[in-house]
Amino acid sequence: MPSEMEQLYQQRLKRYVTAMRNERPDRIPIRPFVAEFTAKYAGYTVQEVTQDYQKAFAAARKCAADFDWDAVVGNMVYGWSGLTQAIGLKYYATPGIDIPPDTGFQYKEPPEEDAWMQPDEYDLLIADPTGYLFNVWLPRVSTDVTPVGEPSTMQSNLSFVKGGMAMLAYFGAFGQQAAQLRAESGTVSAISGILKAPLDILADKFRGYKGMCSDLFRQPKKVEAACEALAPHLLHVALSGSDPDKNVPITVWLHRGCPPFLSPGQFEKFFWPTMKWIIEELWSRGHQTLWYAEGEWNPVLKWIRELPEQSIIYHVDRDDIFEVHKAVGDKFCISGGIPNDLMAFGKPDDVRDCCKRVIDGVARDGGYIMDAGAIMQDDAKEENLRAMTEFTREYGVY
Amino acid sequence: MNEMQTVDRPPGTCITWDEKRKEFPTITGDEQLVKRVWEEVDGLGYMYIWQVLLSF
Repeated sequence: MPSEMEQLYQQRLKRYVTAMRNERPDRIPIRPFVAEFTAKYAGYTVQEVTQDYQKAFAAARKCAADFDWDAVVGNMVYGWSGLTQAIGLKYYATPGIDIPPDTGFQYKEPPEEDAWMQPDEYDLLIADPTGYLFNVWLPRVSTDVTPVGEPSTMQSNLSFVKGGMAMLAYFGAFGQQAAQLRAESGTVSAISGILKAPLDILADKFRGYKGMCSDLFRQPKKVEAACEALAPHLLHVALSGSDPDKNVPITVWLHRGCPPFLSPGQFEKFFWPTMKWIIEELWSRGHQTLWYAEGEWNPVLKWIRELPEQSIIYHVDRDDIFEVHKAVGDKFCISGGIPNDLMAFGKPDDVRDCCKRVIDGVARDGGYIMDAGAIMQDDAKEENLRAMTEFTREYGVY
Repeated sequence: MNEMQTVDRPPGTCITWDEKRKEFPTITGDEQLVKRVWEEVDGLGYMYIWQVLLSF
């Protein structure tokens, strides 16, 4: 006989999976993407949850238990700094070191002329993406790794040993975190596996946004070929971290594929072909993708609608969620859509009103998961999260 | 750099078994076992660099 907590977990898993398949569960599942909010709630600084992942895990578990959510991410605070420091990654500003201890980490994009990948290196990347990463990219983004051909150093050797060991320790700890969430509060681990769009990663970590924009005009064929070269690797990494039971989705963290970063025409030509291919490949293997549409994606909805039914969960950030529902709600589950500025600056009654509008307009037939629009940092108010949670639990019953 | 352009590295691989195999004049025992373990551990190296790129 399963324990009471295990029964609760199974009930929540069924609720969450049913909604993600765009069907109607017993009630609307609540799955907030809470990051630095968890630190504030649990009494930690942002520095503590960024540098000590056990505190980040404890904060996530405390929130899951206290708010009684259906599903959470084991640690939503991005980029454990123990590992980034072991490797000497240059592109982060770390809370408590580079920035104040109560400021979330920042990503530092270098000036265009100092991009991690230079504009004449596309052929190298395209011919051998993994070799390019080890031989060219890593020595540039790390303070410790010496370039190929230069004498190695203890610092360089250590970066691989420490980085590898730290990564194993960190990723391994997620298994224990998932088990604790399940046993202590009956909470489902909401996602499994990471995916980035080929063009996003080209902009984020190789050419920079400005460099990528220049390349779209100056060497568009190279950009397309680079996306095609990256795509099989991104698919492989996504599958390697995916849920073997195929219940919870792989998340694609999107951010630069939408207007105004790309025009719809550029989206169609450069962003979409490889992104679509990866999602279709994942779906052919039975894995859903959580389409985390940070920003406003309504201008490109007609392309997203091309994806196979149920293949994605469409997470709404700043789009009009009612338009999204009208355009793709018959094919895909929708999540999110409660504005982050409302969670930060609104009052609980405003949050309840917003949740009611969204539930009435989007969730009548199931296929909806309650969440804010974007990852909640430490500006989200506790009383607003309680309002969102409690209202949905009462009003979101089918 | 030219060397990079000729290396075949499919997803999940840093150094293919075919390439590694050339370092052994003979394998006296079960070659498939050696191959499997090589590929499993090689895959960890692959995962390291791609996870650094994507997750950190």
